Amino acid sequence: MVALGRLLIFGLIVLSLIYLGLSWHFRAQRRKRMERDWEETGRPGNREAYIAEGMAQYEHSLRRKLLWLVYILPVSAITLLIWLTNFN
Amino acid sequence: MVYVKWVVRVVFWTLVLAFLHYTLPQHDIVRITDTYEKRINPGENALFWSNANTGENVAATERDVFFIQTFRTNDRPMIYRNEDTGWGWPPYFKFDTSNLQAEASDLISKKSAETAQWVAVRHYGWRNEFLSIYPNAVAIWPVAGPDARIIPWFNIVVLILLAALFWAIRVRWKRFWEGRREGQDSEWREGQR
Repeated sequence: MVALGRLLIFGLIVLSLIYLGLSWHFRAQRRKRMERDWEETGRPGNREAYIAEGMAQYEHSLRRKLLWLVYILPVSAITLLIWLTNFN
Repeated sequence: MVYVKWVVRVVFWTLVLAFLHYTLPQHDIVRITDTYEKRINPGENALFWSNANTGENVAATERDVFFIQTFRTNDRPMIYRNEDTGWGWPPYFKFDTSNLQAEASDLISKKSAETAQWVAVRHYGWRNEFLSIYPNAVAIWPVAGPDARIIPWFNIVVLILLAALFWAIRVRWKRFWEGRREGQDSEWREGQR
């Protein structure tokens, strides 16, 4: 059980770092695109409000939710491996 | 300085390759001649042995380990240990050691047998007589004959993914340093004006 605990704790730490890093990266990318978008559409209205609206849309998008795959994929892979090695 | 750089590079890549060669699964076609259980006391070679089986006392210094004696297709012996990897490293998540031992002893086929039963053994690790270390068998299944060929799909996928990861990091690393160098250049030029 100690070994399982160690795997869970270190796994959680590593995956969370990857999750946070990726989520920061994608959000920054999105913000940059919104800034360019605002200029290309002819600077409609307030710049900050335009970007904030775009970011709010992003927060609710499927793309953003797909980031949970960072946790889901490794857990599924381990489950599959356990099944293949021991019960197949 | 150039020599130091190359020595560091060679040592680094040797270690990486050795690590992969030890950890990734490999397949042997063998004939199992016996299975046995032996008490072992890991010492200097403790790195190459698993810990206690899942759920057992991890503080014990000596314990019984299953072994599988085989002959390879070139008629040379190969001995495998059969231990749990459990939740630890390498991540094979093997818990069915005793079941594997039962399968192995069911497939025993001596030289004197009329039709030899060949089996494929998936394993990781190294056999080294000087260190008394043995590869750990992970799975065993019967095959048609000594010529059976197993395509290592898993290794192909893993190695391609690793190469892609290495390449992605290397490209970004180079771009980062080139960006810095250009930045320095332009500052220097500005100073010249």
